[in-house]
Amino acid sequence: MTVLTRADPRYPSRLLDLPKPPELWFEGDATLLSREGIAIVGTRRMTPYGERVARELAIACAEAGVVVISGLAQGIDAASHAGALDARGETVAVLGEGLATFDPHGRRRRLAMRIRERGCLVSEYAPLMPAQGWMFAQRNATIAGLARAVVVIEAPHGSGALITARHAQTLGRELYAVPGPLGSPQSAGTNALIAAGTARAVVGPESLGLRAHSAAVSSPVLDRLAAGPLSPDALRAEADEVAELLLAGRIVALPDGRLSRA
Amino acid sequence: MPRLSGFARVTACALWGLETELVSVEVDVASGLPGFDIVGLPDTSVREARERVRAAIRNSGFEFPLRRITVNLAPAERRKEGTGFDLAIALGILRASGQLARDVAELCVGELALDGSVRGVRGVLPRVRRALHGGIGSALVATDNAAEAAAAGGDAVAVATLRLAMAHLDGSARLAPAAPPPPAPEPAWEVDLAHIVGQETPKRALEIAAAGGHNILMVGPPGTGKTLLAQALPSILPPLDEEEAMAASVVHSVAGLVDPERPLLSVRPFRAPHHTASRLALVGGGRPPRPGEVSLAHTGALFLDELAQFTPQVLDTLREPMQEGRITIARGGTSATYPARFTLVGAMNPCPCGKLGDPAAPCTCLPDAVDRYNARISGPFLDRIDLRVHVPRIPYEELRDAAPRERSAEVRRRVVAARERMASRGRRANAELTVAEVRRHCSLDPAAERLVAGAVNERRLSARGYHRLLRVARTVADLAGSESVGRDHLASALLLRA
Repeated sequence: MTVLTRADPRYPSRLLDLPKPPELWFEGDATLLSREGIAIVGTRRMTPYGERVARELAIACAEAGVVVISGLAQGIDAASHAGALDARGETVAVLGEGLATFDPHGRRRRLAMRIRERGCLVSEYAPLMPAQGWMFAQRNATIAGLARAVVVIEAPHGSGALITARHAQTLGRELYAVPGPLGSPQSAGTNALIAAGTARAVVGPESLGLRAHSAAVSSPVLDRLAAGPLSPDALRAEADEVAELLLAGRIVALPDGRLSRA
Repeated sequence: MPRLSGFARVTACALWGLETELVSVEVDVASGLPGFDIVGLPDTSVREARERVRAAIRNSGFEFPLRRITVNLAPAERRKEGTGFDLAIALGILRASGQLARDVAELCVGELALDGSVRGVRGVLPRVRRALHGGIGSALVATDNAAEAAAAGGDAVAVATLRLAMAHLDGSARLAPAAPPPPAPEPAWEVDLAHIVGQETPKRALEIAAAGGHNILMVGPPGTGKTLLAQALPSILPPLDEEEAMAASVVHSVAGLVDPERPLLSVRPFRAPHHTASRLALVGGGRPPRPGEVSLAHTGALFLDELAQFTPQVLDTLREPMQEGRITIARGGTSATYPARFTLVGAMNPCPCGKLGDPAAPCTCLPDAVDRYNARISGPFLDRIDLRVHVPRIPYEELRDAAPRERSAEVRRRVVAARERMASRGRRANAELTVAEVRRHCSLDPAAERLVAGAVNERRLSARGYHRLLRVARTVADLAGSESVGRDHLASALLLRA
């Protein structure tokens, strides 16, 4: 655990745009903080659609060598970090609490370990500072500050991700939002950003200036699963193909028995 | 007129869990200060026999000898429990005091009421079987237990009262042995597969579970028919063979759950304990030790609805019976082993709110909450579940669909045929195949071989997962009547997340 002050040559110059650039405590590779990065943020209560888009954009960033910045919360944040790491990319997690007090369980604990090894875990708070509500809002400014562009995947009205979007606007960062189904509460905030003209709509990685994800081998089953996991009952007619894709690791069975793209 | 002193021996049978042992009830009536002692490690319920026996003898019109009475239960080194010794003790006293002219050669099992009537006890079936094994071909039992004793084989004489027992023994009014219970009629199933709309994959999974004895977990939103599907399982399970029927009936007898009219089970048991059930209720134990739900489900199915609501500790105690087909309970210096070979049927929601995966009603659970919910079922427990199937919500058009659906009877025919194939390989069901047997009997044809080879080499399939897959694929092939396991059998097995 090391602290970066403004005097440190490794201190990311982008953060100087903030009215009060914070000190940064970090674990991992601090050089990532100064690299070109895109922040991918969104709600914790994501839909399968949000999860897929977050993951795909994170993979596209990773393949383009762009650092994925997010907040390591459950939901969209975790999906973005995981997508970047799975595609052997780099990722920065900006925490809303002290590095030493941060102690998640299960999936995010493993994610934090991977980020420590292959990315950078950073916090503007002293290591033993326990989490409080206001800290997360302030942390969102740091996320926007570190990034070249901010993408909001899914955010209901009142979501913390919209605070990040507002900071991005103030700091003059490029702001993107992913359009979602009308009437889906999880996309209400993002759709509103697009409607107000504050955010540009994302229609694919190319919207972010990234090369489109190299089109993988497609198949009818994979296409049908693109919209989200399906019950095996729905894929009964293609049992043979499903079996092959399962064994090839291209689709996986979820704990509830539904099938999903890997 | 009673003799002043004498000795008699009557045979009874002790019960510890499912274990039985013939007990020689020795009665000595001697002159001295009047007294009544029972020795030979009786517990409280046996010691209390003194009061019941004294009153029953007097109220039946016999004389309770005012002498020094000593009763010994041999072998004397094991503790005896329960009220089943009353009848033997009373007859022993009457014989030793000369009021009964003949020795008692029969097994005597029954509790006495103070008025001299004989009451039924638990575990008559194994006790009478034990006596037969020991060369005692007839038994005196309570009327309630008569059918049960007759089902065990040998002569079972129903004695409603101590008086009738005496009349039968001294020959003044011989009683005819009870007739063995008639074979049970074909049962009427409450739930037939034909009642369930759609859900073709879960139904197929249920058929495979029934045929191969594979444990199955159904996951789906509330109200999609998981419970109904589970309740349809008994209607497609193969019929009990004689040996299985006896084994299952013995457990029910010991638990005191026998139907007095039809003591032998004719259908496989289906037990559905609630998720608040304690460990004791589930695996058995207590004092005197009683079989739990896992043993009552022996040869049948154990249905655990809302699986994630069971405490992890309770679920983990199921691992031994799921693996071994029996459960050993050690408590207070004694240990009892009960059979517990059952097909586990689990049902659970996909997440705390139950809506995950339901396209019509999006789930509102936080991802971490879903992870925590799934983590309630431990990995080792899931490892013992061969089939996992998603039970989706059925769209309205399908609900209205009135097309004829396959009836349970047809499915059952396929299950029975598949079981016959399995029996020819020396196992009742494929779920019991050992790794060596899997290797011997589940040879894949080349196309199927190619399908899995890659997955195993790239470590997407563990050795355990591979064997589980082959067992299920073997069952699918058996249902299809195929000698070898082909590509499509393997594909079906994979689709059921084997």
